[in-house]
Amino acid sequence: MDEKKAAILGEIPRLRRYARSLLRDRDSADDLVQDCLERALVRLDNWQTGESPRRWLFTIMHHLFIDQMRKVNRRGEVAMLPLEAGEAQAAPAEQVENIASREIIDALQAISPDRRAALVMVAIEGFSYAEAANILGVPAGTLMSRIARGREELRRLLDDTARRRAIRIVEK
Amino acid sequence: MTPRDFSERDIHMTLDGELPGDERVAYDAWLDANPEMKVRSARYVADRAALRAAFAGVLDEPVPARLQKIVFGEAPVKTAALRSRWWLAAAAAAMLAIGGVGGYVAGIDRLGLEDPAEDQLAEQAIAAHVIYAAEKRHAVEVPASDKDHLQTWLSNRVGLKLVAPDLAAEGFQLVGGRLLPAGESKAAMLLYEDDKGERISLFVTAESAEKAKGTYGSEENGPEAVYWLDKGYGCAVVGSLPRAQLTAVAKSAYSQLLAGLAG
Repeated sequence: MDEKKAAILGEIPRLRRYARSLLRDRDSADDLVQDCLERALVRLDNWQTGESPRRWLFTIMHHLFIDQMRKVNRRGEVAMLPLEAGEAQAAPAEQVENIASREIIDALQAISPDRRAALVMVAIEGFSYAEAANILGVPAGTLMSRIARGREELRRLLDDTARRRAIRIVEK
Repeated sequence: MTPRDFSERDIHMTLDGELPGDERVAYDAWLDANPEMKVRSARYVADRAALRAAFAGVLDEPVPARLQKIVFGEAPVKTAALRSRWWLAAAAAAMLAIGGVGGYVAGIDRLGLEDPAEDQLAEQAIAAHVIYAAEKRHAVEVPASDKDHLQTWLSNRVGLKLVAPDLAAEGFQLVGGRLLPAGESKAAMLLYEDDKGERISLFVTAESAEKAKGTYGSEENGPEAVYWLDKGYGCAVVGSLPRAQLTAVAKSAYSQLLAGLAG
């Protein structure tokens, strides 16, 4: 097996984690990783020697994610969703989540995809602002405002959830 | 080095390891002196820990065989029609999320996908300000001495009833205005100046579909934009004033613009 393929294999766990934070549902997240790997292999020649495989693969996957989200948005395919939404609603398979994790994963899904990607890229995946801005293809200022807004939105969503939980407890 | 003012922006930078090392001591002192910011910082640290914990397990999961097979070239290449439909799940999840939090993000758009309109408006307004506010003789196309014509002309071109706000109470006099491209439409830029020569600009466009407001700065120490987006129009006030002053000027300008639009 050549070095390039070995490097790609080594990145799969991180790609799966990023996809899971973008999409939540485990199978959908792995579908996204699969699309990303297929595209990467077709474009193997575009991968410059010396370029970090992580950055290269994350860029491919992010483009797949955002392009598709925009396309769906523009074409108004939301209309056909109720037929398929059942799949997405299903609890993540075989995933043990405690309440705190479930709440923060739900909240993360509720913030806009652009902000979610920026926040996850830096806060979970550990990319620097310069690397993340490069992968997401936005100016550093845009990245920073997305991170700041994303964190603020996440905080408010978690507070709302906590408040609703408190109300439920009082009602019992 | 003179000590600089810190802001919430520095909380994010510190958290993300982007604060220059030589500013750390001054930042820590600032945080200690601002209990509210300290609480905010601690909260973001906790949220990040929770986020990392929630996804940490993924790295330990065995990699599904179907993914490995692709890298080894063993999987049949799918046709376009059979391509995975992960994005439907993404769209569905976004819809559920919108329903689930009682409309909190309903102001964004159907899928909760951030249309970068806010950033675009702010970036265009800042770019225009950087170029034209620095011009001495050619800052505007139509000077304030021809205000009636300026307002009629820009209103017709942009497609909004534009009344140049009176910012004298905030210390700013109208210099004039110009017409600018803004994406696929047009924008009006109104330039103001105080008696020390400090300039601010108002950037107004028609055709904005979303509601939002906020502040935006693209570079350290560069001008900042305070913007509003509403159905039918977007407005940004740009300048290098202290945040509180810029916000005050922007509020005055915005309420006058709104009154003008309605009138």
